[in-house]
Amino acid sequence: MKKSRILTATLTAALVGTLALTACSGGDSDSADGGNKEITFMFRGGTDEKAAYQAAIDKYTADTGVKVNVIVTDADQYATKLQAAVAGNNVPDVFYIEQASLQSYVASGVLMDITDAVDASGIDLDNIWPYGVNSYRFNGTVQGTSDGALYGLPKDVGPFSFGYNKTMFEAAGIPLPDKDTPLTWEEFVDICKQLTVDTDGDGVVDQWGTGLNVQWNLQSLVWGNGGDWTNEDHTEVTVDTPEFAEALQAFADLTNVDNVTPSAADAATLDTYQRWMAGEIGFFPVGPWDVSTYNDLDFDYDLIPWPTLGDESATWVGSLGIGVSNTSKYPDEAVQLATYLSADADAQQTLVDANIQIPNLIDMADTWAADTAAEPANRQEFLDIVQDYGHAMPAAFTYGAEWYDELWTNIQPVLDGKQTAADYLAQEQPKMQQLLDESIANAEQAG
Amino acid sequence: MTRTADLAPQAEGSTSPSPTPAAAPPVWRDRRARNRLHRTEHRWAAAFIAAPVIGFVLFTVYPTVYALYASLTRWNGLTAPKFIGLENYTALFGDEYFLKAMWNTFFYMIGIPIGLTLSLLLALTLNRQIAGRTAFRTIYYVPVISSLAAIAIVWQFAYNGDFGLVNQALSWFGIQGPDWLQNTATVKPAIIIMAIWKGLGYSTLLYLAAIQSVPASLYEAAALDGAGALRKFRSITVPMVRPVTFFLVVTNIIGGSQIFIEVNIMTPNGGPEFSSASIVWYIVRKAFKYQQMGYATAMAVVLGLIVFVITLIQFRLNQRNSFSID
Repeated sequence: MKKSRILTATLTAALVGTLALTACSGGDSDSADGGNKEITFMFRGGTDEKAAYQAAIDKYTADTGVKVNVIVTDADQYATKLQAAVAGNNVPDVFYIEQASLQSYVASGVLMDITDAVDASGIDLDNIWPYGVNSYRFNGTVQGTSDGALYGLPKDVGPFSFGYNKTMFEAAGIPLPDKDTPLTWEEFVDICKQLTVDTDGDGVVDQWGTGLNVQWNLQSLVWGNGGDWTNEDHTEVTVDTPEFAEALQAFADLTNVDNVTPSAADAATLDTYQRWMAGEIGFFPVGPWDVSTYNDLDFDYDLIPWPTLGDESATWVGSLGIGVSNTSKYPDEAVQLATYLSADADAQQTLVDANIQIPNLIDMADTWAADTAAEPANRQEFLDIVQDYGHAMPAAFTYGAEWYDELWTNIQPVLDGKQTAADYLAQEQPKMQQLLDESIANAEQAG
Repeated sequence: MTRTADLAPQAEGSTSPSPTPAAAPPVWRDRRARNRLHRTEHRWAAAFIAAPVIGFVLFTVYPTVYALYASLTRWNGLTAPKFIGLENYTALFGDEYFLKAMWNTFFYMIGIPIGLTLSLLLALTLNRQIAGRTAFRTIYYVPVISSLAAIAIVWQFAYNGDFGLVNQALSWFGIQGPDWLQNTATVKPAIIIMAIWKGLGYSTLLYLAAIQSVPASLYEAAALDGAGALRKFRSITVPMVRPVTFFLVVTNIIGGSQIFIEVNIMTPNGGPEFSSASIVWYIVRKAFKYQQMGYATAMAVVLGLIVFVITLIQFRLNQRNSFSID
C-alpha cells in the first residue's frame, strides 16, 4: 500500500514533468465565424515589419470586406507554432513558409497547389522576380525550377548586400570603393587594416575594418572562390574542396592573421552588428530588412558588391513564401490574400515605404532603385543581386537543413585559429553527407 | 465466496471503533441504498470524482501513451506516423549529439547542491534580526517572479566578453574575464551561475519557513547540553529542514533535466561545439526544426525514464533517512 503510493507519486512527478513537453501541441487560433468571411494569417517579423503588414492587411479588409485574423510571432518561435498548429489540425488559412520547409509541407498535404488559382487571379507572374516565384515551385522531385506546381508566392526576396561606412572612409581619407567593381580580397584586407585603429589613443583598438558572422557571411566567400556546398542536384556534399577550404581559411584569418575584426568570439554574437551601428566598423553586410534601422544611424553608408577571392562577386538571396492551407474554409479568399500581399501594387508600396523589403514587382523595383536621393544611394545593388549574382542558400531546396547546420556546430576551433579549415572540412564532409543522405531518404518516404 | 468473506479485508483494515466490524458495513450499506438522498449524493460524488479522473486520462495518460507510441514511429509531425519499432532508440545511442546533450544536462545539475547550500545560508542570515530584512527577502525573490526569457537576455549581455557587466566587474580586480558564452570551458558554468541566481529566492523562502518552524525548545535543550552554534546548526537545523531539502532536490532535478529557455536564448546554436546544448533543447530542435518528431519523442521517453528512476531512488533514500520527533 505504502510502496505503491510512493511509486505513484514518483511516476506522476517524473512523467508529468517530462512528457508534458511532448503533449502540449494545441493550436492557439480559434476564430469565431460571425457570419462574415474571416480568414487567419500567420506570420512573423520584427516591430517595423508587423506594423507594415498590419497596415497592408487593414487595407485588404477595407477593399474586400474579408476579415483577417492575424497571428504574429517572433522569428524564432514561428516554426514551432506553425507545426503545432498543423499537428492540432488548426492550420491558418494563409501563412509564411520557408524555402527549406516547402517540400515537407507539400508532401504532408498541408499546402495547397495554387497554380490555377493564381493564373485565374490575373496577376502577372512575369513581373515578379523569377527567383522568388520559382522558390515555391515543386514538381515532386525538384524545387526551385520553373516547371513545378506553385505552392506559394514570395513574400519577399532578400538580397544580402554589403555596405561600408562612408563617413568613416571620408574621415580616414580612404577613396570610396567603386560601386560596380568588387574589391579583390587583397584590396579589401588592405583597407580593413587601414581602418583598424585606436581612435582615442588609450592603447585599445576601438575601430575595426569589418566584423563578420560565419553563418551568414561565409557563403559569399565560398561562391566567389568557385566553391559550393553541394553538387548541382543537391545529392553530394562538396565542402571538402580546396576552393571551399581557402574561403573558410581566409574568413578565419581576418581575425587571427590580419587582425581586422573584433575578437573571434564576438563575430558569433550580436555585437559586431551593434558596433557597426555605433560607427566602429568599416564594412558590414546590409539586408533590405536592415535599411529602416540603418537609415537612422549617425553616419552615411552605401552599398557595394561583396569583395571576392576570385573575380566575381557572390552573395545569397533569401526568400520567404506565403502559402495557403489545403483545408482552408475560404480557399478563394485565402489565395486572394496571398496574391494581394505578394503582388498587389498598393500593398507592395506600403511594405516598401516601410523600408523592410525591396519591391516584389520588377517594374516598381526599377522606379524604386532610380531614386538616388534615398539612402542607401546605390539601391540598385540589391536588384543586381536578385537579377545577376545572387545564389539561393545552400539548404533552400533540400528536404530540411540539418546537414547544412552541421557545418556550423563545431566550427569554433577554426575561427579561433586552433584548427585549419582544410582539416575541419575533411572531417565534416562525411557527417554532412550522411545527414543529407538521410534527408533524401526521408523525402522519398514522405513523398 | 460469501458476502462476509468478500468484505473481510476491508473490515480488517478499518480503524473504525465499531465492536462488530464484520457485521457493521453491510447494514450501513443497505441503509444507504434505500435512501434516495444518499443516492443523489452518490451520483454527485461520482461526478466530482470523474472530473479529475477524466482530466488525468485526457491530459496525462493519453499523451503519455501516445508519446510512447510516437517514439516507435518515423514521424515528421505533419503526416501520419509510420511504425518502425525500436529504430529510434537504437539510433539514439549512436548519436553523439544526444550523448553530449545528455552529459551537458547532467553537468548543469552541479548547480543544485551549490544553490541549496547558498540558499540555506541565506535563509539563516535572513532569519536574524537584521535591519531591512523584509526588503532583502523581497529583493532575493525578485528573480523568481521575473520572466526567465527576459533574465536570460539580460545575462547574455552581462556575459559579453568585451563590454559585459561580469567582465567589467572582474576587471576592477585586474582579472581579464573570458568571453563566457563563446567558450566551451565557460559556457556551462555561466549558465549554471545564472540558474543558481534565478532559483535562489525560491529555495531561500522555503528554507526560511522551515527554519522558523523548528521548535525553539530543541535549541534550548541543546544549549543546556552545551552545544555551540555550529553544533546546533548541524544537529538540529539541517535535520529539521530535511523535508524541504528533499522537496527541493527532487523538484530541482526534475526541473533541471528540462533546462531549455536559458540555453535557447543565451546560446541559440547550442553553444560552441554543442557545449551548452541541453537534452530538451536538442529535442525541440529535432522535433520542430528538423521535423523528426518520432526521434525527438524517443529522446523525451528516455529522459522521462531517467528522471523517473532518479526520483524513485531519491524517494527510497529519503524513506530510509526519514526523521521524526514524536
